[in-house]
Amino acid sequence: MKISLNWLKKFVDIKIPDDELVRLIGARLVEVEGVIDETHKYDKIYVVRVVKAEKIPDTHLTLCQIDCGADELVQVVCGAPNVREGMLAAWIAPGAIVPASVNEDAPFVIGKRKMLGKYDSNGMLAGADELDFGDDHSGIVEIDPNMAKPGDLLANVFELNDLILEIENKSLTHRPDCFGMIGFAREVAGILGIAYDNESFKQGKKYASANKALSNVATKSVIKILDDGICDRYSAILMEKHGEFKKKYLTFIDTILAKSGMRPVEPIVDITNYLMLLTGQPLHAFDYDKFVAVSGSSDLEINVRLAKKGEKLMLLDDREVDLNENDIVICSGDVPVALAGAMGGKSTEVDENTRKIIIESATFSLYNLRKTQMEHGIFSEAITRFTKGQPAYQTLDVAEDCAEMLSSGFKVIDAWDNYKNPSKEVTVVLSGDEINSLLGTNYSDSMIKKTLENVNFKVEVKNGNFKVTSPAWRTDIHIKEDIIEEVGRLNGYDNIIPVLPKHQTVGVNQMLVLKNTLRKNLSKFGANELLTYSFVSGKLLEKAGLDVNNSYKIVNSISPELQYIRQSIVPSLLDKAYVNQKIPFDKFALFEINKVYQKEWGMDNENVPVEKMHLGFVLAERKGEGVAYYKAKFFVEKLLKEYNIVARFLPLKSDIAEAKPYEPKRAAEIWAEDKLVGVVGEFKNSVRRNFKLAELLAGFELDVEMVLALKTDKKIKNNFEVKDKQDVTITTSEPYAKVYEEVAVKYPDAVITPVSIYQAENSSTKNITLHLEFH
Amino acid sequence: MEELEKLKKELKDLNAEYAKIKDVPAEKRGEFGRELNAKKMAILDKISKVEEVLMDTEVEAIDITAPCGVNEKMPDVYSVFDGSLHPLTSELNRVSEIYRAMGFDVVESRQLDDEYHMFDSLNFAKEHPARDGYDTFRTEEGFIPPAHTSTMQNRVLKMYRNKLLQGEDIAVVVPGRVYRNEDVDATHEHTFYQCEGVYVSKDCTMGNMLGILREFFETYYGQNLNIRTQPGYFPFTEPSLEFLIEKPKSLGGKKGDFLEMLGCGMIHPNVLKMAGIDPEVYHGFAWGGGIDRLVMLRYGLMDVRNFESGNLNFLKEF
Repeated sequence: MKISLNWLKKFVDIKIPDDELVRLIGARLVEVEGVIDETHKYDKIYVVRVVKAEKIPDTHLTLCQIDCGADELVQVVCGAPNVREGMLAAWIAPGAIVPASVNEDAPFVIGKRKMLGKYDSNGMLAGADELDFGDDHSGIVEIDPNMAKPGDLLANVFELNDLILEIENKSLTHRPDCFGMIGFAREVAGILGIAYDNESFKQGKKYASANKALSNVATKSVIKILDDGICDRYSAILMEKHGEFKKKYLTFIDTILAKSGMRPVEPIVDITNYLMLLTGQPLHAFDYDKFVAVSGSSDLEINVRLAKKGEKLMLLDDREVDLNENDIVICSGDVPVALAGAMGGKSTEVDENTRKIIIESATFSLYNLRKTQMEHGIFSEAITRFTKGQPAYQTLDVAEDCAEMLSSGFKVIDAWDNYKNPSKEVTVVLSGDEINSLLGTNYSDSMIKKTLENVNFKVEVKNGNFKVTSPAWRTDIHIKEDIIEEVGRLNGYDNIIPVLPKHQTVGVNQMLVLKNTLRKNLSKFGANELLTYSFVSGKLLEKAGLDVNNSYKIVNSISPELQYIRQSIVPSLLDKAYVNQKIPFDKFALFEINKVYQKEWGMDNENVPVEKMHLGFVLAERKGEGVAYYKAKFFVEKLLKEYNIVARFLPLKSDIAEAKPYEPKRAAEIWAEDKLVGVVGEFKNSVRRNFKLAELLAGFELDVEMVLALKTDKKIKNNFEVKDKQDVTITTSEPYAKVYEEVAVKYPDAVITPVSIYQAENSSTKNITLHLEFH
Repeated sequence: MEELEKLKKELKDLNAEYAKIKDVPAEKRGEFGRELNAKKMAILDKISKVEEVLMDTEVEAIDITAPCGVNEKMPDVYSVFDGSLHPLTSELNRVSEIYRAMGFDVVESRQLDDEYHMFDSLNFAKEHPARDGYDTFRTEEGFIPPAHTSTMQNRVLKMYRNKLLQGEDIAVVVPGRVYRNEDVDATHEHTFYQCEGVYVSKDCTMGNMLGILREFFETYYGQNLNIRTQPGYFPFTEPSLEFLIEKPKSLGGKKGDFLEMLGCGMIHPNVLKMAGIDPEVYHGFAWGGGIDRLVMLRYGLMDVRNFESGNLNFLKEF
């Protein structure tokens, strides 16, 4: 949302500098994303009178002499069809920048030039599009002689030297009232400590009381709201054309629309848009005759209901939408003519032949409209406001304002108002102590009262107790804390003194401690810690030999690359091993500790998917020697030893997902006590090929919760003095573990370290040498 | 092997079939070609599967219990100089440590959660547009990779509410990984880290919240900081605010250069109620903010995409 500071200042008497104002708005009201400086956008653009206008034969051009307030007339060639003697126009003087081009890379500077080889032309007479007031290129703008005289700066006449605030809408999700200038200005008054004069902005009041048709609106109705909870209030005014309603001059409204990021298009629409920017209440105009004709009956019947399946509607933007049972529609009789809150229908569009119009001013369920918005992809200024939950109190007032603004061309014939679900006054009772004790402040009762009254709350105070009644537009106020927020915010949270609470004892998160030491140990072993995405592609899972059906699948993923939640860490590391081998790094080890999910693990006691903490590790060498399996095994054994976990390596048999990428003949399950801690090994050739990795490749994956459960702090051996030592060599064809077991049984006190495994050529046995130390 | 030979012969025969296309009437050639192509694809597919199986069966078994290969030297770990720690995990630890020193327990956030914890328990009305602001991912089952660490608020409140009965305060921080359906660029990631803080007691105030936050950031950046707040909106806090710090001079900041660090506020009574804590007796505050930006600022990093790139050129810098 864009807020013009000049327009804001018409509602609040602001006496502080603009930069301080912007800071305060940011600190106490809403996030200001940026400030657009338009203080020089209209430099050197003047109001001028066209004194002479002569057609240049055989061209569409006119040779003009203009009075720009100086002693001498200036000559300008103009191509617009509507240029004529006597009119006031906007002249962009030589050296000035065309306002519509200020944000372009090369802003267009107007100069003097010769046209058709003989006519000097100085500057240009500007159209609305060049002045950045819309897309109209049909002619030059004309300025009301009652507003300006030749030589006036256009910027002064229309208050164009302005700062425009860009507001982050998300920070006002709960404040529909602030989506109109009146509401926004009220808050600004509040943060400046000024009482806001609410009554003075009810513009249409006098007009309404003087108008017969508007004096007894509520008693009759042609409007029916057929479903509950979709529309709290629907007001409508019927008007008939009594004269020309055509725009002649550039108006203040045009400039407000442009500054607020909308484009002036057509007088009736411009007025409804302007009122929306002013009040927050969106309006819509229907062609009455078309509206009635659509129903096939001769009487006006406005029905608001949920759409039925199979119904279709042609929208104003020439798009036919299939309606669903969530969409709210405005119907003539039973025929949908508009998608409520979102967009009008083609069949009732106002055009140049329109004789009578219906002005609609209503509120609709934000929940339905939010779905409608998503379903049909409609993102207008109006629906942005409706989805914040516009309050119902002002629909008729705003419709009356609209009627008044249209009164030069239309007169009121009738008006109806169906206030199905009147809003209730909300009163909150709380004490000054409650306010101060939550905020950590020391605000007096009178200060609290004034703060709230400034923004039109009704406040009664008795013995430190407040009875606060919220105004009709504050649909966000329900509980004490809402009032406390108002007091804290309007007085500035920055005025609250930061104080530390007293210290207390804390527990230790063992998992965090373990993870941290695992990281440090592995980096000490020369491995590199990675973080990779939790989301992986189905292709990656398949490349690693995993079943995609065991992964939770994201239905709205950014891309197929990020469609599944990973079941284990190692596949992601294989993917990154490729990246690094390509850089190229010839030798490296990667690891990551993170959470993983598998469907087959089911739900935990909170009924959310079981989550496990895994440590994945991959080592990859391009020019290395040796068996990769033993390298990875050495890493994992050494790592587990740090936690006094003695691992056993058993054949890979279990069918767990983590084991899938490994080659069973060159991989093992890691067991400690009676627990499966993880898997280690080389990968299947197919997996290695799929990831395009060099041959020397292995990895492991550990269940970190198992490590946590098994780890002990006591040192198995803490005597460093070696009393005796000895090497034993055993000739055998048995696996190493069996030999080791036998030696360990024979020398229960020895610390056993392997020295070598030797096998002579053509021999069927090998010599296993172990080093024994006795402490 | 036999099967592979058979498939290769099939392929050869099929290739020969292509020659017959000239005998086929012109109008049927298209169909003829398509049929042959489909058959060829099927055979190639089979060949690749068989090859894959062969590739995996030709492997030589090893003694998985041994410490090294036969006639090979004992393996060793790599050089300590090759190792590195990820800057994000290191900083997450530092963040947790600072809060621990201030009296906070640390609980890690989940990475897959449900609608109840992500929204319902945080006072988001059903179907409320505020839910849209979080650009959440969803699984087929409706689970949510959380878009904020606040997804843990209800859990930690329940986990620690007994402390209140023992006269102690609840003081917990929750670091964790979060996800948003967002286009990735130098300053936006769909996967990033946050740290949540929750504090509940009988008499804590917003002033305490600001005190804790200022203390944290000053410790983290090792210097005094100017702080600022602005109003915010979160359904689970009331009042809600954004917390800003002036970018420290030592990190290239200029005067008035304020950075939004986190969202915070007094915990909404409904959130306390849903966790079984009486909001008439206790109140609290909570905050949550991104870690990635904190770290980028501290190290002067420009591109958030490096964190999950797995690129050792980047990671070995730390």
